[in-house]
Amino acid sequence: MAVLDELTRPAGDDDHVGGVPARLVASPKSTEEAAALIAATPGLAVVVRGGGTKLHWGPPPRELDLIIDTRRLTGMVEHAAGDLITVLRAGTPLRELNLGDQQLAIDSPARATVGGTVATGASGPRRLHYGTARDLLIGITVVRADGKVARSGGKVVKNVAGYDLGKLYTGSYGTLGLITECVFRLHPRPAAARYVRSTAPAQAVSAILAAQVAPTAIEIDSATGELAVLLEGTPAGVRDRSALVEKLLAGEVSEEAPSWWGRDPWTPDQIGMKLSVPLSKVGSLLDSGSAVRGSAGTGVLYAAARDITEVEGLRAHCVRSGGHAVVLTAPAPVREILDMWGPTPGLALMRRVKNQFDPEHRFAPGRFVGGI
Amino acid sequence: MADIDALTQRLRAELGPGQVVTDRQELRTYECDGLAHYQVIPALVALPHTAAQVAAVVKACADAGVPFVARGSGTGLSGGALPHAEGVLIVTAQMRRIVEIAPADERAVVEPGVINLQITKAATPDGYYYAPDPSSQQICSIGGNVAENSGGAHCLKYGFTTNHVTGLRIVTPDGEQVRLGGRALDPPGYDLIGAFVGSEGTLGVATEVTVKLTRLPESVRTLLAAFPSIDQAGAATSAIIAAGVVPAAIEMMDALAIEAAEAAVACGYPPGAAAVLIVELDGPAAEVEAQFVQVTDLCRRAGAFEIRIAADDAERALFWKGRKSAFAAVGRISPDYIVQDGVIPRTALPEVLRRISDLAGEHGVRVANVFHAGDGNLHPLVLFDARVSGEAERAEKVSGAIIDLCIEYGGSITGEHGVGMDKAKYLPRMFGEDDLDTMQLVRCAFDPDHLANPGKVFPTPRLCGERPGGQVAARFPGVEVY
Amino acid sequence: MVDATWGTGEPPREVLRRDVLGAVDEGAFDDRHPPRADQIADCVHCGFCLPSCPTYVLWGAEADSPRGRIYLMNEGVNGEPLSESMVAHFDACLGCMACVPACPSGVKYDRLIEDTRAQVERRFPRGPRDRALRTAIFALFPYPRRLRLLRGPLRAYQNTGLRRLVARSGLLERLGPTLATLESLAPRLRKVAPPPRRVAARGTRRAVVGMLTGCVQGAFFPEVNSATVRVLAAEGCDVVIPPGQGCCGALSVHNGRRDEAARFARRLIDTFENTGMDYFVVNAAGCGSSLKDYGELLADDPAYATRAKHFAAKVRDLSEVLVDLGPVAPRHPLPRTVAYHDACHLAHAQGIRAQPRALLRGIPGLELREIADPELCCGSAGVWNILNPVPAAELGDRKAANVLATGAELLVTANPGCLMQVAAALRRRGGSIALAHTAQVLDASIRDLGRETQRQEQVTPR
Repeated sequence: MAVLDELTRPAGDDDHVGGVPARLVASPKSTEEAAALIAATPGLAVVVRGGGTKLHWGPPPRELDLIIDTRRLTGMVEHAAGDLITVLRAGTPLRELNLGDQQLAIDSPARATVGGTVATGASGPRRLHYGTARDLLIGITVVRADGKVARSGGKVVKNVAGYDLGKLYTGSYGTLGLITECVFRLHPRPAAARYVRSTAPAQAVSAILAAQVAPTAIEIDSATGELAVLLEGTPAGVRDRSALVEKLLAGEVSEEAPSWWGRDPWTPDQIGMKLSVPLSKVGSLLDSGSAVRGSAGTGVLYAAARDITEVEGLRAHCVRSGGHAVVLTAPAPVREILDMWGPTPGLALMRRVKNQFDPEHRFAPGRFVGGI
Repeated sequence: MADIDALTQRLRAELGPGQVVTDRQELRTYECDGLAHYQVIPALVALPHTAAQVAAVVKACADAGVPFVARGSGTGLSGGALPHAEGVLIVTAQMRRIVEIAPADERAVVEPGVINLQITKAATPDGYYYAPDPSSQQICSIGGNVAENSGGAHCLKYGFTTNHVTGLRIVTPDGEQVRLGGRALDPPGYDLIGAFVGSEGTLGVATEVTVKLTRLPESVRTLLAAFPSIDQAGAATSAIIAAGVVPAAIEMMDALAIEAAEAAVACGYPPGAAAVLIVELDGPAAEVEAQFVQVTDLCRRAGAFEIRIAADDAERALFWKGRKSAFAAVGRISPDYIVQDGVIPRTALPEVLRRISDLAGEHGVRVANVFHAGDGNLHPLVLFDARVSGEAERAEKVSGAIIDLCIEYGGSITGEHGVGMDKAKYLPRMFGEDDLDTMQLVRCAFDPDHLANPGKVFPTPRLCGERPGGQVAARFPGVEVY
Repeated sequence: MVDATWGTGEPPREVLRRDVLGAVDEGAFDDRHPPRADQIADCVHCGFCLPSCPTYVLWGAEADSPRGRIYLMNEGVNGEPLSESMVAHFDACLGCMACVPACPSGVKYDRLIEDTRAQVERRFPRGPRDRALRTAIFALFPYPRRLRLLRGPLRAYQNTGLRRLVARSGLLERLGPTLATLESLAPRLRKVAPPPRRVAARGTRRAVVGMLTGCVQGAFFPEVNSATVRVLAAEGCDVVIPPGQGCCGALSVHNGRRDEAARFARRLIDTFENTGMDYFVVNAAGCGSSLKDYGELLADDPAYATRAKHFAAKVRDLSEVLVDLGPVAPRHPLPRTVAYHDACHLAHAQGIRAQPRALLRGIPGLELREIADPELCCGSAGVWNILNPVPAAELGDRKAANVLATGAELLVTANPGCLMQVAAALRRRGGSIALAHTAQVLDASIRDLGRETQRQEQVTPR
């Protein structure tokens, strides 16, 4: 109990998750401290909090005792520029990284931390070219539900030794334990970047892909009817390619992104969804009448739904198209009657994984697919 | 002891007699994969044609408590498809249908026996290709690529198999068929696809794979640069990366490897080179041209004494031919060899190569080096003649020392060939007990009875939950089970 | 939509399911030219040969791949007996040699399979049906005179409605697939005079060449030989064509009948001795590759060893010698789209790919098109198509589809077996394309036959 008192403090009014209050809050400053904490608190239900930007996504926890806050688990452990990798502690806000003329190419809102971004598998417009956290993560350190520390991957990009736990933890919504450290592969910052903005329809996307201009992002927004492309590279190359795309889309080259670029399309009182469909079905998604915005180049978009009927309609459409639709956030009364995750192929196997990693179901109970 | 005869009868009934091999001489043709010096004759071989048949085989194995090993084209270099002497070898080579090429979705759906290069061939008319390109891509199967998370020369820019698989149908070790993902990205739930790819056949058998297709680049430019020393070639590589260029590939070969490749395919590399670099840039023409000038200049400044620029596809293919045949070509200059697959941080390349050279000298064996200079993935080929007394042992020693070197420098024991059975003993040098234990939690979730490719990857199996240790202990006599 | 379906995936043989019973006292091979252990050891088991092997492409089974067959040879060398299963896999090898250039380690698979087949022929007791068929094949195909005698009845058979009747009634199909194959391959026959013993060069004489008249070529496609003679003469060669040359022995050596092959070889060497030839020109791919190996075939014969080596050193494929000499006869336009098919024994065994293409490209107006999957055998493989008619038909179908996909008007190839095999497959598909030997195309260009239809056999749907 002494350990508990040392490492935790009582929760305040702001220390809740989706309306479910916690009793205790802890802010460990190292992996070892986090491990000691978790080992010392068997039976306590835990939710991990980073920047809080996505804390209330997903169903609220079935029970909650302890919030583990990563604000002190912060900092760059290593930046090996010559090898294009960096080792970061999970609580490090992505927007605060200083990597010189290299970048960790993940789009994220302000305050979002490394750990939170990995745990939710969050991504933005540039995923078309760079991939997502899943593709950029090359090593991970976690603390299991039983307090043991485990590492997988490493500090080199080419690595198939052992299982890739990093993939498993990415998008696991904190249900498999606490992520304390991540190793990422980096990219050089491009010398030049330009946006091409237009009102071309979704059907124009295939023309852009066919044009072999290697776009960094192709984003579309149903509310404004805009289609915008981001091109990066050498100054001369970007000039040429944007001119080509400009012509293709009857658009306009700009140094500024549209105001809607990379922003969630929903307001706090609305239902926020993440939709994913095969590329060929993006057009019909935009024709559905809902407010949809996102990556037309990868088929991953976001929608603002007004009510459950719209949610179900969108979900049915996505599933029929061979994709899926997840409700990320919704007002409390709606949340209670909504199936936020939707159909999940492989759920039985996922339950078995959860049971191995967290047999007592302490970590984020009830927040994940199938009530995991 | 399991009743193999009963299992054989059952499989003959479910698959048809033509798809079950019991003839001993034929079984022996399956006793090894690309790592030919380890051989185990399987109790029997099954050649399923459909996912349902794969499930039937696995279910039969599960019912009988018989282990199984999956094999595609049998070209793996870590013994991943080495059979189990009392087990079934499930060969997917006859499941080789390309189910669909869907350029509108930028996806291909294929059966696991489909050969890597066949996907590219099928997609090229639509302007697409399949990016991960292991050197054995003309024969290696997609199922095998999934098992090993195969890379290839172009993975520096394009990533590995795991970055290109968006959907899988698998048969789990209890014989159930599970569908994961599909054409759309980011399926909800745990990334089981990410866990499965690279699990080396220990979590089940893939029966259908959905992969990303990549748009063919507008322009591809390849150069071959010859250097008077490995250090200079390494310096050129560093300079290219430091300049912010992300080439599609940077490959290096040393003098001994060049000699072998020359003998095999007469690639005509510049004579007298201590090292050659093959640098390939691809992308929009405007970008490639600018970067190519830069790269050529950097090579020259680093001391290249000859730079050749491929004038057309045929010449480009010739540059690559030498590199891609290097492993097998080594057979021409040495009766036997061990190929390693270590990774080190790229910046440590020149130093590590020097230390490997020292090791080789100390032990009196030759080491030829072929590697992905861009990402630090080395393929030292330790040459020896098994007929000369003691040479095989010395070669093993050098191999082990090279692996230790990679760990010492913070790298990895395997960049793309997989742990399989020949590196399992090194895995604990790279990861701690808790690390391996955690990884095996995944294995316990998929395969609590340890039937899927047992004995691979992890040197010591983990007891899964409340299962009696009897079965596991019986399969690994003398091994500690915890 | 690309069709990448590869065959039926079913190995055809019953024997594959049988176990080898008990311990055996005798290894597969004796010490008369067994497959060599050192050549076997060259194989590093990389598998690069698998995608080039027609039987692996069809069946996807390791034991029917070069890598697998080498493994079986190794098992035999290490004491495993010559079982029915082992023999079946060796027999299934087409001998197309596509695996040889594909191998990065330089494994001499051609040597290995020939040595193995010779051992099998001598030491393995074949079943009565198999023996009867092989006896019939080898009593017929290496003897041009006997083949010529067959032409009369065959011609009568084709010219009358009998053929159509027989085909429609399916009688032949029921009499056994092998007879059906022979029937389907029998080309429309025309009467052509045999060539003179010596033909003088046109213009400056640049070489004296002996020419092989061949068996199937001479008996069924005599116009190819005539064209060959004319082209050689036009390019400044005196052509010497002794009658009664006999067979070169290729079919025999490819099927393990070594002594028989050696007999044919000795006779051929004798026939051409003292002709003063600079080169020995061959217009059939299968023959050329064996002829170049005479040194090895007769290495054990002290009386012929040296002569065989010298003879072999003179052997040239027609396209080879023409490119070596360099063209002098002017070429007249032949505005045709042409698909060139690489015969295995020319491309893989002799490495001759560039020369025929160079010659064809040298003809003004001729557009050369490449056939997809060129390294994959058409399924003829000597008499393999007679011994293995079902998979041969599958391979033939694949080749025919690829040929038709080029959209070319004319298919050119340098081997009578390939020609007949592809013709049969095209006919089955109801496709239509003209067929010719490289020599005939060159002949047409040199003689300015241009617009005039130059067809050896117009294949039309029935």
